[in-house]
Amino acid sequence: MDNTGKEKEAMQLMAEADKKVKASGSFLGGMFGGNHKVEDACEMYARAANMFKMAKNWSAAGNAFCQAARLHMQLQNKLDSATSFVDAGNAYKKADPQEAINCLNQAIDIYTDMGRFTIAAKHHITIAEVYEAELVDIEKAIAHYEQAADYYKGEESNSSANKCLLKVGHYSAQLEQYQKAIEIYEQVAMNTMDNPLLKYNAKEYFFKASLCHFIVDELNAKLAIEKYEEMFPAFSDSRELKLLKKLLDAHEEQNSEAFTEAVKDFDSVSRLDQWLTTMLLRIKKTIQGDAGDLK
Amino acid sequence: MSSDFEAYEQDFGTITAELTNKIGRIPKLSGEEKTQLVLNVDKQLEEVRELLEQMDLEVREIPIQSRAMYNSRLKSYKQEIEKLEKDFKRSRIAYSDEVRNELLGDEASTSESQRAHLLDNTEKLERSSRRLEAGYQIAVETEQVGQEILSNLNSDREKIQRARERLRETDANLGKSSRILTGMLRRIIQNRALVFILGAIILLTIILAIYFNLRGH
Repeated sequence: MDNTGKEKEAMQLMAEADKKVKASGSFLGGMFGGNHKVEDACEMYARAANMFKMAKNWSAAGNAFCQAARLHMQLQNKLDSATSFVDAGNAYKKADPQEAINCLNQAIDIYTDMGRFTIAAKHHITIAEVYEAELVDIEKAIAHYEQAADYYKGEESNSSANKCLLKVGHYSAQLEQYQKAIEIYEQVAMNTMDNPLLKYNAKEYFFKASLCHFIVDELNAKLAIEKYEEMFPAFSDSRELKLLKKLLDAHEEQNSEAFTEAVKDFDSVSRLDQWLTTMLLRIKKTIQGDAGDLK
Repeated sequence: MSSDFEAYEQDFGTITAELTNKIGRIPKLSGEEKTQLVLNVDKQLEEVRELLEQMDLEVREIPIQSRAMYNSRLKSYKQEIEKLEKDFKRSRIAYSDEVRNELLGDEASTSESQRAHLLDNTEKLERSSRRLEAGYQIAVETEQVGQEILSNLNSDREKIQRARERLRETDANLGKSSRILTGMLRRIIQNRALVFILGAIILLTIILAIYFNLRGH
């Protein structure tokens, strides 16, 4: 009951605000404190949007926020406009992802204009997440993550940059862009190697890079693993390295049972996640593909 | 005739009782006593055999009608004696076993219990190895959790550093703005003062002008 009442109120406010805007459009209104009216209208739009949010009418809320944002632009209030666009994006996220992305893009433009790259990067990540989850457009998601990582690098926030890069690597490998994934993982691993807090993560990244090498070409994988062992001695003790060596052997002998066994072994100790399983499956297919003639 | 037989039976009974007793005691004894007892038992067994033979002869002299009963009795006695002899033999061999058992603490270790023991042990081993594996898994999971926490900490650290930088900037900006504001205030006061002075001068000029005009008349 409360919510429907709020909705009606919100509609009323919207109508009033619209009127105000139109009124200020005429010459006379422009003379006599037109700005004042527009500001009022802005505020009304914002209130209306909040009420729509309470009534869970997300698209109407997003709409109201967008209007408010445009008015702010008119008033040359860049910051306010950007914040309104962000609010609009958030509201649209629940209803219409495409619109949300549009709003967020506009917000990002404003922020980059003002030189606030950190916030822009954060919003790139939000957009990328929307692509990941709702629209399932991995290519665009990758593009946004990359953009975010670049901005973060520019602002010297290496940990956030690493986070984005990891996601980029993750998805590129899934899309079979192995070269790119390899570069990214290597880069991240080298960055984290020196940092005492993060060095325990480094071995995971080396492992992933080696897997990508593996899918491309077995010889590459061997060389890469040797290189990594040299650079990072702690890598040699890890169970992951042992698994890799077993996999290499199994691949050489074209023995898919040994392969499966090694993988099962590793899995029994620490569960393999989705990405790893996909990669390992691809490697296994190459084994079986090669041994297909023998079958 | 039958009374003889009965007399023989009675003798037989007593001797067998004694024999059973002695045979039972043989394994527990050792050395001198044992050899004596063994000889004793031997002699008694001889006597019993003779008794049996005589009983046999007696039974043959009995008329055929009642022979069956005596025959069966005789047979049972013979069986008893045979059993006693077997026991006797075993008791002489059982020497080593009994004493050995006493020495080694009376272990009931037959193959059955050994097998059960082994199975028990294997089960315990399996249980402990399973527990070890579970422990290892938990250790690995803990390590992964630790990794995540560390990377979170790292990013938090960077955020805090950045926030501190921004705070310092904001502080500097606030200082600047407050200086500007004070400057503005000063200028406003100056302006107002100027306005008043100018207003006073104009007023004075007007008054002078009017005064001179009136004077001029």
